[in-house]
Amino acid sequence: MAGHQKTIDKAQIRWMEGVITIVQEGRFQLSDAKGVSHQFVLGHAALAETEQLRPLQSRQARVRVKYTDASGLISLIAHRIELLEPEALETVRP
Amino acid sequence: MNVHPRARDYTQSALGKMIPNESELTAGVKIEPGKQYGFFTDTTVCIGCKACEVACKEWNNLPADNVGLTGHSYDNTGALSANTWRHVNFIEESGGKSVRDNDQNPFQSGWLMMSDVCKHCHHAPCMEACPTGALFKTEFDTVVVQQDICNGCGYCVPACPFGVVDVSKADGKAHKCTLCYDRLKGGLEPACAKSCPTDSIQFGELSDLQARAKRRVAELHDRGVHTAYTYGTPDGPGALDSPGVMGDMQYLNAFFLLTDRPEAYNLPAAPTRPSNRIAPALTAGLATLAGLALAAVALMAGGSEETHRGR
Repeated sequence: MAGHQKTIDKAQIRWMEGVITIVQEGRFQLSDAKGVSHQFVLGHAALAETEQLRPLQSRQARVRVKYTDASGLISLIAHRIELLEPEALETVRP
Repeated sequence: MNVHPRARDYTQSALGKMIPNESELTAGVKIEPGKQYGFFTDTTVCIGCKACEVACKEWNNLPADNVGLTGHSYDNTGALSANTWRHVNFIEESGGKSVRDNDQNPFQSGWLMMSDVCKHCHHAPCMEACPTGALFKTEFDTVVVQQDICNGCGYCVPACPFGVVDVSKADGKAHKCTLCYDRLKGGLEPACAKSCPTDSIQFGELSDLQARAKRRVAELHDRGVHTAYTYGTPDGPGALDSPGVMGDMQYLNAFFLLTDRPEAYNLPAAPTRPSNRIAPALTAGLATLAGLALAAVALMAGGSEETHRGR
């Protein structure tokens, strides 16, 4: 695998809650409670697949994203996406 | 300016739903699966506004990269990458016609500007190199990477003769222009072509675009711009000496009208398919191996004869 970041610095890990509003391939935009949009890229070892993002967007499900900053990019790297409404799980499965 | 008759059906400023086959109104072409589509980039009318770069980033939700100033003319994007699928080249002509000279050609003609993009090659080397089949030809004859299949091996990166494909360090997968595959499926013109204020980037059916490019080259020749030619169109008879010959690539779905040598625009003069070099390379390797094996057998046979004589 070509040159991606292999380890996650635990000190850099943060969480953000919101709604996924835009999805393109493995990139998505998350709007937080204040209505501010943040851009994410699904990390190479993320516990989610690209095809799982679009159902999350269509469902407008509230999610919590574990992320770190990206070096050289104005974006955040998503490492884990958790559903805040577990009952919605069936509807977001691709 | 000609306005499509269907445009009169949509006069309100806010629409409740998408316009069906919107590309008919914006690009004069109806997008249908099974036909070949592409870009014709006429560099003579590019003003370097970078609207295409912005539109591409905006639609594809691509993050900004290379933040800062490169010091290379007005180009702070640098190059095409995993996060930059359109790149406007700024070329300041050197020598006697430099923009920094006191004597200037009229119409700021010391500048060359070109919006570079994936060429969506007819014989795409990236696709030939991909071991997983992540790169494929769509129903619109464009080349797209399927993100859920790409394993990030990076074979497509050196295979591309234009240096377009790149593996992202963020997600470890290959990325490049999709010619707005999702927009085409929705009957929309690609974002870059739609945003181009001078129609330097034109989207349409490939045969129409090639005919349009031919007419434009003839028109420029008539106006005295004898250096104008197309880069990436099918080879004509006797075209082997002309710049930008495609050879075994045959033609590109995203082609350009240039006024200087391809190298001036950072384009290869004669792009080739690496897959065509596999057979000669393998033959040469096997021949070398066979030669070395024969030499080793001969040496061993000679050595054993001397041992027998010695006894």
